[in-house]
Amino acid sequence: MKELNNKNPFKTPEDYFEDFTGRLMGQISEEVPRIKKSEGFTVPDGYFDDLHSNIENKLAGPQVKVIALHRYRKYYFAAAAVAAAMVLYLGVQWNAPQEVRFEDLANSDIEKYFETNEFGLSTMEIAEVIPVDELEISDILENRLNEENVIDYLNNNTDEFEELNLNTDE
Amino acid sequence: MLTEETLVYELKDGNTRASAFEVLVNTYKKPLYWHIRRIVLDHDDTDDVLQNTFIKVFRNIEGFKGDSKLYSWMYRIATNEALSFIKSKSKILGQDLQGYQETMANNLEADIYFEGDAIQLKLQKAIGTLPEKQKLVFNMKYFEAMKYEEISEILETSVGGLKASYHLAVKKIEAYLRSN
Repeated sequence: MKELNNKNPFKTPEDYFEDFTGRLMGQISEEVPRIKKSEGFTVPDGYFDDLHSNIENKLAGPQVKVIALHRYRKYYFAAAAVAAAMVLYLGVQWNAPQEVRFEDLANSDIEKYFETNEFGLSTMEIAEVIPVDELEISDILENRLNEENVIDYLNNNTDEFEELNLNTDE
Repeated sequence: MLTEETLVYELKDGNTRASAFEVLVNTYKKPLYWHIRRIVLDHDDTDDVLQNTFIKVFRNIEGFKGDSKLYSWMYRIATNEALSFIKSKSKILGQDLQGYQETMANNLEADIYFEGDAIQLKLQKAIGTLPEKQKLVFNMKYFEAMKYEEISEILETSVGGLKASYHLAVKKIEAYLRSN
């Protein structure tokens, strides 16, 4: 292991805190400053010396047994499941529909279905049905994207350059 | 100094476990402490996470298969522990993770165990604004001076992805330092 840069070079001089604000303001400059690689974090005296024995003590103590807060919870679930099954059964009986036809489906239901289900069509199959030539980006997206949004999105969500490689073989 | 293989072997052997564990703690306590501290920022929180990390290592050493290096495995545990710690703490405080990290960075000013100057404070605030992945990569590359290959093994991400994250992190930090 290489030696990490974890030594704190910043001792507290006398009256450090009294002068802190003044020095703080003095040091903030307009320019982007050069930053030293020490960060200023410190630890309490003797912290690392005691760490091993602290961990030993924790390990030596009995492992805390996890006690279920709701011991009867599974029975509640069982009861709820039975009740739900009965309500469902009665509901289905009550509303036993006549033959459902495609025309009976509301457009919003169809859209909802496609939004929430994997419908297993490949991009080729979709492309065969939808006239791609006449599509505009605004047909798909409700809001216009500006370049800044796109770059922000890519910055935050793209981990790998490879993901951005578009397939250019087609 | 024991080799890593010997240490793992001794950790798995009941007779040598205690002494090997002491060696393990003493070897890795400082690098792991600083790794965690850069994620959670507060000393007491770091102490909790560090102890939990070692306890997890101790209890799970049997399951360590040696597919990666021991220290990568420990760093991975420490990283996961630290990240889940800040996630649960932000939830308790009812803040989103980003907001929590920024608050923590702002709190450093009042932290008795932070003695950085204004520039270091500003840098920590800038790091606090980064998304989680970029923050990790920046800290490991910039402060811990790790190689991309080492970071890649710990975070289980491709080197290309890490370079991109580091590049973006540096750009964002520069922009933050210029505008604040």
